[in-house]
Amino acid sequence: MSKTLMRFTGVGGQGVLLAGEIFAAAKIASGGEGLKTATYTSQVRGGPTVVDIQLDDQEIYYPYANDGEIGFMLSVANVSYNSFKGGVQPGGTIVVDPNLVHPTDEDRKKWIIHEIPIITIAKEEVGNVITQSVVALAIANTMMNAIDKKVLVDTMLSKVPAKVHAANLKAYDLGEKYAKESIAKLV
Amino acid sequence: MADTREVISSGNHLAALAAADAGCRFMGGYPITPSSEVIEQMSDLLPARGGACIQMEDEIAAVAATIGAGMAGHRTLTATSGPGISLKAENLGLAQMCEVPLVVINVMRGGPSTGLPTRVSQGDVRQAKNPSHGDYRSITLCAGNLAECYTETVRAFNLADRFMQPVFVLLDETIGHMHGKAVIPTEEAVKAGIVGRKQFTGAPSDYHPYECEPDQPAVLNKMFTGYRYHFTGLHHDRNGFPTEEIETCRKLIQRLEDKVMLHTDELELNEEFMLDDMTGEEGEVLIIAYGSVSLAAKESIRHLRAAGIKAGLFRPLTLWPSPEKSIRKYTDMIKNVLCVELNIRQYTEEVERVSSRLDIQGLYKVNGRPISPHEIVSKVKEVF
Repeated sequence: MSKTLMRFTGVGGQGVLLAGEIFAAAKIASGGEGLKTATYTSQVRGGPTVVDIQLDDQEIYYPYANDGEIGFMLSVANVSYNSFKGGVQPGGTIVVDPNLVHPTDEDRKKWIIHEIPIITIAKEEVGNVITQSVVALAIANTMMNAIDKKVLVDTMLSKVPAKVHAANLKAYDLGEKYAKESIAKLV
Repeated sequence: MADTREVISSGNHLAALAAADAGCRFMGGYPITPSSEVIEQMSDLLPARGGACIQMEDEIAAVAATIGAGMAGHRTLTATSGPGISLKAENLGLAQMCEVPLVVINVMRGGPSTGLPTRVSQGDVRQAKNPSHGDYRSITLCAGNLAECYTETVRAFNLADRFMQPVFVLLDETIGHMHGKAVIPTEEAVKAGIVGRKQFTGAPSDYHPYECEPDQPAVLNKMFTGYRYHFTGLHHDRNGFPTEEIETCRKLIQRLEDKVMLHTDELELNEEFMLDDMTGEEGEVLIIAYGSVSLAAKESIRHLRAAGIKAGLFRPLTLWPSPEKSIRKYTDMIKNVLCVELNIRQYTEEVERVSSRLDIQGLYKVNGRPISPHEIVSKVKEVF
């Protein structure tokens, strides 16, 4: 596999950092290189947050995704979507929560935009809003085919408390299901 | 048994782990972005190893407590960011004058003043050289990747005890918060490499802590071991009591200078990346960078070499005292020199001084954003 660059954006406190850590750790567990680098503002909770995730088979030096080279972005906050969408390469994939992020018509011409209600899925179908980062993780991996699912799920489970394993497994399955449906709809 | 281990961690957590593994048993701290994870981690690590980690009421109290533990004889740490160093400066001068070893981690963010709290910068490089007034020599190390957050912190503890003074470890927001794989020495390997501070073992009546060779640090015995002496920020005599005697004053300050500057060979550490095939031919490019910027520089060198431009990186890990001979060796050989820094010319001026060259090119950024590999490639193509 060549280099995969992904960007998760939201606002501080939503758990996007954890999703990045899980991706990096899973890639390292598969024998490759993974690096997560976050950028946030001094208004940590509620301020725009971006996490760049790089997965590669060779050593990664520069820890940020180069603007214009990012193949996948996921966003659950409009303020961060607008700040960071410019880094996604034309034709790249962007997943947004349509209740929170509102892409323009121009954006829809430039990128492949999927609308998946990530927060609602976590809150109402899983029953725990905190699992949104795992829903996002599943969507990203299903769309990018970045990491072997079993390695990713095992890594995810190793980073969340045992009492919420079932909820997070459900969150992963739902994320995967919605991603597949959204891909099928766009084809 | 392997003497390395693979971990997945962040720069700040690795620096904390290194301190604990290197025998640090006290931290006085006050949280400040982007360094807070160091004290957060130490508050778990130190009590579990029989040490203490105290969040004091402010940065000044934090370094004062740290110096106190160093005076008592412990390996000791404080961690902060640029605004914290400004507050700690006076006490750091006291530690230089009293010759108290401690390690000071500075995870750099945008300045001056409170600046850009969550954004990357290398704006404290000049500050690290002379945080406090008076004549003394700073020892400042700078980590350029995750593993070095660990290894440079370990090295700092050993150097602090060898030279009996504060040693700075500079990280920056990028290095401190990036999270990935690092291959670091095992705790056993680190413990095997510990060289503690010298101790006087003769009769207490023969003990004079500040009476030492003119190029050697004071020998401060641990407290409560039967040896008596005095600490003061004033010029002091062989037992640490204030004096204005002319020769004693001159010798003391000259010794603070010489104990470091006559032993720079024990301090110098550099990385030479893609420099081994440089011959001084026309068109070769020398990039000088340190800290997180060197990561972008390395990637830019991959791109430059692919485009047929022979470029290499010289990266000091010990920033102060600067590696004068090594810088001169490369700046004498290679005509096209580019310094890349997240500040305005703070280390470039040192490269100019050491190389006696005024045609060093620079790429600088001070808006809290990292310098990208593409910006370095463009700059090289533009100026050479």
